[in-house]
Amino acid sequence: MPDHSLTQMAHLMRRAGFGALPDELEERISKGYEETVEELLHPEAIKPVDQYELLRYQPWTWKPGTLSNPGPTSWVYRMINTKRPLEEKMTLFWHNVFATGVSKVDHWDEVADMIDLFRDKGLGSYQALLLDVARNPAMLFWLDNNQNHAPAINENWGRELLELFSMGVGAYTEEDVKECSRAFTGWTISRKIPRFPYGRFDWSFEYLADDHDDGEKTFLGETGRFNGDDIIEIICRQPATATFISRHLYSFFVADEVGVPAWSETPPIDPEAVKTLANTFMETNSDMRSVLRVLFNSDFFKKARSSKVRSPAEVVVGTMKLVGGADFPVPGYGELARQSSYMGQDLLNPPSVEGWHSGEEWIDSGNLIERINFMTHMVGDLERPGVRQMVEDLRSKGSLQPAEFVDATIDLIGSPRVGETSRKELVDHASKRGDLAWNEDATQRSLEMFKLVVSLKEHQLA
Amino acid sequence: MVPRLRFVTGSAEGLSPNAGSVRVSLTNIYLFSSFFLEKVSNKVQQMTAQNMLTKIASGRVLDYSHNIGQYMGGMDWPGEGFVLPIATAVAVHNTVYVLGRGAESTGVAAPMEPRAFGTRVGKFSVGPTPGDEEHLLTFGSFGEAPGQFMWPTGIALDEDENVYVSDEWLNRVLVFDKDGNLLSTWGSRGSGDGELNRISGITIDDNGNVYLVDSLNHRVQTFTRDGKFLGKWGGPGDGEGQFNSPWGICLDQDGFVYIADHRNHRVQKWTPQGEFLLQFGSPGDGPGQLQYPSDVTVDPAGDVYVCDWANNRVQVFDPTGAFLTSIVGDAHEPSKWAQMTLDANADLRKARRLVSTMEPEWRFALPTGVTFDKVASRLIVADTQRYRLQIYNKITDYIEPQFNF
Repeated sequence: MPDHSLTQMAHLMRRAGFGALPDELEERISKGYEETVEELLHPEAIKPVDQYELLRYQPWTWKPGTLSNPGPTSWVYRMINTKRPLEEKMTLFWHNVFATGVSKVDHWDEVADMIDLFRDKGLGSYQALLLDVARNPAMLFWLDNNQNHAPAINENWGRELLELFSMGVGAYTEEDVKECSRAFTGWTISRKIPRFPYGRFDWSFEYLADDHDDGEKTFLGETGRFNGDDIIEIICRQPATATFISRHLYSFFVADEVGVPAWSETPPIDPEAVKTLANTFMETNSDMRSVLRVLFNSDFFKKARSSKVRSPAEVVVGTMKLVGGADFPVPGYGELARQSSYMGQDLLNPPSVEGWHSGEEWIDSGNLIERINFMTHMVGDLERPGVRQMVEDLRSKGSLQPAEFVDATIDLIGSPRVGETSRKELVDHASKRGDLAWNEDATQRSLEMFKLVVSLKEHQLA
Repeated sequence: MVPRLRFVTGSAEGLSPNAGSVRVSLTNIYLFSSFFLEKVSNKVQQMTAQNMLTKIASGRVLDYSHNIGQYMGGMDWPGEGFVLPIATAVAVHNTVYVLGRGAESTGVAAPMEPRAFGTRVGKFSVGPTPGDEEHLLTFGSFGEAPGQFMWPTGIALDEDENVYVSDEWLNRVLVFDKDGNLLSTWGSRGSGDGELNRISGITIDDNGNVYLVDSLNHRVQTFTRDGKFLGKWGGPGDGEGQFNSPWGICLDQDGFVYIADHRNHRVQKWTPQGEFLLQFGSPGDGPGQLQYPSDVTVDPAGDVYVCDWANNRVQVFDPTGAFLTSIVGDAHEPSKWAQMTLDANADLRKARRLVSTMEPEWRFALPTGVTFDKVASRLIVADTQRYRLQIYNKITDYIEPQFNF
């Protein structure tokens, strides 16, 4: 049976990051669980990925064409290579909350700038983040706030801000939506030079005082000549905001909740857990670090092992960390960045402002085949350094009986708890060819076993 | 408003297993943050005066002439535009060869299988007058087959105007004649003598010796035109005569060799026999500082032009390495081919008239290559992310207009 601290640490690294290989797990265990949580919460102490390295070899990743180039490449490069896993996991988290898609924005780099914002500010104050999201050009365009004018308001941003980005349905009225939208009039984007004939340029936030409705507004029971910043300040004081964001954190890091549209009717899986997080949120003025510290150190988190369906992004990143060969720019990185799209998660292009439906909805007959095809392709590729390493690790154990072979492989692949039924199937299969002794056959048998393990239902979980 | 780069920190990392070579670990103090309302790179603009088309320093004049090219989008047809032009080579009779790095494309492929468009060599006639440029020929394409390349990085001509292209993924040099016919291919991957690991800059002296920057072996190697190994210099490190991922290379009138020592943020000068002479540049964005320089070229007067890639500028130094001036891009007018695109699309013209300033369009965006055309006395900058070349005349008999005109 695996050692408890190893299981615990592997679970933490799968949830707070994209998984970790045995060496890293050993190192983190010797540091300690709580110390590891602290390290994860303080990425600023660790060197970030050098984006210039990717630009040196793949200059097209700077401002990719919408249809012609794979846009999420520089983000995927970062996710795979980061030594700051929680910081990067938070970019995925916030991208699903403040879901903005290139299908309308039409500039990968503008949506990728949001990811940079989430990386920069995702572990800090939620209020500060929200203030920046409200000024983000991609977001403003996505939710039509550049069409929100004093004489004729457009409620899209104002509504989603309340419904999906802070408090959730039920915490406000239609009047509040209108007043909120009035407060954000004049929050727009300056025109930029178009993409032909010399490539893409950047948008900037622009505040047009002339277009701003400066009149008195009543929002959530408070009255004043509110501007956007005031609205956000009021929102962040509401317990509903603390609960809503905490529930998002629970769903992303602990256990999959139902889709957000059902939240107003369906209570959380673990109301006490959400309440605990929400209390911390309120007490610390929406400090995400503090809330996450409570989350990762909680029993409800530690117990929730092997229960969460991994998102396609986690499948791709986790697999590449295991098999290696993606730590330095190589041709084909663009195609790698598209793999999660084939599995149902088009990075930088969620299907709507509601984000992706997670949990078991990641698995359908098409997506499951894509996930397994991708993973088996990678773990079966002896050209990859991580795969060769796993074969070597097996070889170093000497001759292995079928059960030992299966268990050793499961450990190397880093699968979470494999159930007895699955394990028995693998052992029965391995038994057909007897002990794994290191003859010509053994490498092929190893690769086959790697592929079988990643195809397990359990391996789709984190 | 300068084309901003996303939040990056410059630093050289340690061991990269897949690259198969040691990369030197450096602590790089330099932080480049460009994010929303922060425009660090504006600092560069303020130090080198804006809106100037003519730069004068110590009696030298760089006078912006015009630009050629435009963004070809996701299109792979050759002709009046480029896809990420990263290097150029100049022959007599106003002939310019432009190396297109190309871009990875979308399209269903196996995981990590690359597809790309725009990877090619374009041959153009480029005279002194804006608009006299003509596309003559395009050759080469993306792939591993004979005559193809995957990551073309450097381009050079020999005395017969044969075209040498270095491929930093396939680790080989392709030699074409001036009509684009493949003549030979040489090179293979490794770290031994004559073996290559991500070769980049390439230049050829009057004796036909090929100088090849062997980037991830952190050295320069010399070969005959047929690829026979002659010698090697340098090795990994940040000391004198050491390199960290060097990129561009050139020769001056006397045969001295200049190398853009990319991750050491400096330029090195060596004798043709392979002895280190001097270096200049240090990490930063101030005058005379460099950030990830990608290329270097020298004119007949000995002035050294360094393509200061991550600072979006070209800096000019005198032969001793003293800083003179810098240029940041001055493309105020669309090129002939860019104008064709504008003439064909009323919406583009309208959109341009709605912006508050066209200045971002004038400026370099991650310029990668510099070449000095001795015959025409002009500097050609490969303004890579703007899909064009910007051309500056170097004038020596310039008379300044009356100051109080």
